Amino acid sequence: MRKYRKTIIGSSLLLLLLVMSILYPYYGPKDFNHQVLVKDDQGTVIGRAPFPPSENHLLGTNRNGEDIHWLLLYGAQFTLITAFGVAVLRVLLGGIFGIILSLWAPFLKSYFKDFFLTFRYIPSILLGIILMLPIVGNFSDAPVSMIVTYQIMILVFIGFPSVTLFASDVTDELIKTSFVQSSFLMGAGRLHIVRKHLRPYIGSYGILFTVQQIISTLHITMQLGLFGMFLGGRNRAGVFGYDSPEKPASLSNEWAGLIGQNFSEIIRAPWAILSPVIGYFVVIVIINFIKKELEENLDGFQVVKKKQKQKKGARAEARSTARRGLFEFVQKL
Amino acid sequence: MKRLLRSLIRIILILFGFLFIFTLPLVFGSAEDTVLVDFRSFWDGLKFNFQSLIQMNDSSYLELFKELDITNSYQYTMTILGGSLIVIIFLAIVISILIMLTPEKVSNRLKNGINFFEAVPDLLVILLFMLFVITLYKTTGLKFLQLYGVFGNKPYFVPIMTVSFLPLFLLLQFLVKVITEEQNQQYVLYAKAKGIGRLSILLVHIMRNIFPLLILQLRTIVWVLLSNIYLVEYVFNINGFTQQFLKLLFMGGDFASLVACLLMLAIPLLVMEALAWFISKFIKGKEAVSI
Repeated sequence: MRKYRKTIIGSSLLLLLLVMSILYPYYGPKDFNHQVLVKDDQGTVIGRAPFPPSENHLLGTNRNGEDIHWLLLYGAQFTLITAFGVAVLRVLLGGIFGIILSLWAPFLKSYFKDFFLTFRYIPSILLGIILMLPIVGNFSDAPVSMIVTYQIMILVFIGFPSVTLFASDVTDELIKTSFVQSSFLMGAGRLHIVRKHLRPYIGSYGILFTVQQIISTLHITMQLGLFGMFLGGRNRAGVFGYDSPEKPASLSNEWAGLIGQNFSEIIRAPWAILSPVIGYFVVIVIINFIKKELEENLDGFQVVKKKQKQKKGARAEARSTARRGLFEFVQKL
Repeated sequence: MKRLLRSLIRIILILFGFLFIFTLPLVFGSAEDTVLVDFRSFWDGLKFNFQSLIQMNDSSYLELFKELDITNSYQYTMTILGGSLIVIIFLAIVISILIMLTPEKVSNRLKNGINFFEAVPDLLVILLFMLFVITLYKTTGLKFLQLYGVFGNKPYFVPIMTVSFLPLFLLLQFLVKVITEEQNQQYVLYAKAKGIGRLSILLVHIMRNIFPLLILQLRTIVWVLLSNIYLVEYVFNINGFTQQFLKLLFMGGDFASLVACLLMLAIPLLVMEALAWFISKFIKGKEAVSI
């Protein structure tokens, strides 16, 4: 029996976080309790941001004197929406392309692999840095929407080849099953196969892929944030006390940006960087639970796991499969 | 002849895929206040990068690459990589055997604990290690754990520990899974029936059989290690190869230097793949061992 308890609880938690984040302007303090200097009654300065976590500041403040917990809450929407959007785009594009690749143009698959061979040898964080550097690397006056579009395109692009190949592998494996084979032999068209036989699998695999890709997107945005590649570019008048050279700050206060802009403060204010990282951690743990449960539910049809077990050449595949075009009908109706 | 043609096409495709991926940012020329979509500059950049790859006898070829401290830093990074690989393999085998020897109730709980670690982001581990070392120094004043790589320091212990933390759990998870599957095999039952002890079945029979699987898994481990090392060197400010690489990037190095650096980074992965290839070939040779 399939159970979706963890999935329902996990996704409603994430949804709650998202809604709270979007509604933030209606209830939260607009300036995130901005307070750089603390003075006593005589007006002498007794404290200066960053403040450690205390009753007044639940998670402490950053160098600008803004409360971290409000910043985190406000920035959550950008992080979550980006991760979700990028994952959906990756799976949508990659999935469609993968199915086309293995149904209509199986001969192209090895060439596709070769063309994107680079992705197999260079960690995606490096690729992300190299590709984003020209646009995000400097203070640019380009509109934020353009920069974000570019970043999302790069993020989608980084994950695209692996999703495509994965989708194509799954489709290949599905084509080999007897019900698709017999359908082929009875003269079904490819579109018919996709519509009738593959569609149930497309749904469940699509969701699983999306969840996996959300995790990988979260990881990569976090790492890119450390290197200063914030979502939405860099804010010029960013961090208090760094006038020249200007220190980049996150424009949107999304979590990766908070990590990047507080990284240099790690010894003075470890809470400022640890809280967004732990925020990421919590979100990833929740999504990981969802992923596990979905994978368990897919156990009845274990294409992917089987694929992983038979590594290259370890076991020779000795099954003949019928493909369209290898045979002709004697009598065409 | 056909094979030759095919491999030629493959090489050309790989090369052009590489060029395509790294020229992609040029599609978006960054003007004063907007980002333009410009396919002409993309095409020009493609041609330019291709040329800069080919002109080898130019004096400016790989100029920046030669300026940087490549050999030393590469050696250092690879030492960290090799060291952590050895640590990981050793610890993972020992711990997985220990887990398998514990009673089932305990080992199930341990397995769940290991599975939990796959959700931990690498950045969190790195930062926690860093803060741990700093607080250790602050409270006790002992400075036996070297953290930062400034002033020509070359710390080994802390980076290796930090880098290998998460991949260790990855390999452990894999080994436990494989050993559990292997224990259902007929020969294990047979060995048990003959009265061979649990430990010696594990050490002598099962280990021998999962060794090829372990080798095949190493590529993934090296992959994770590489991306971890990248972060660690940045966070700890260690003067390793990836730092040189970053310098090259931010100084706007030429394309050929970039390619050279990326190739050097890919070498460990290639070695692992070659190893896996030999192993699988070896096993195919004597089919008695089934994977």
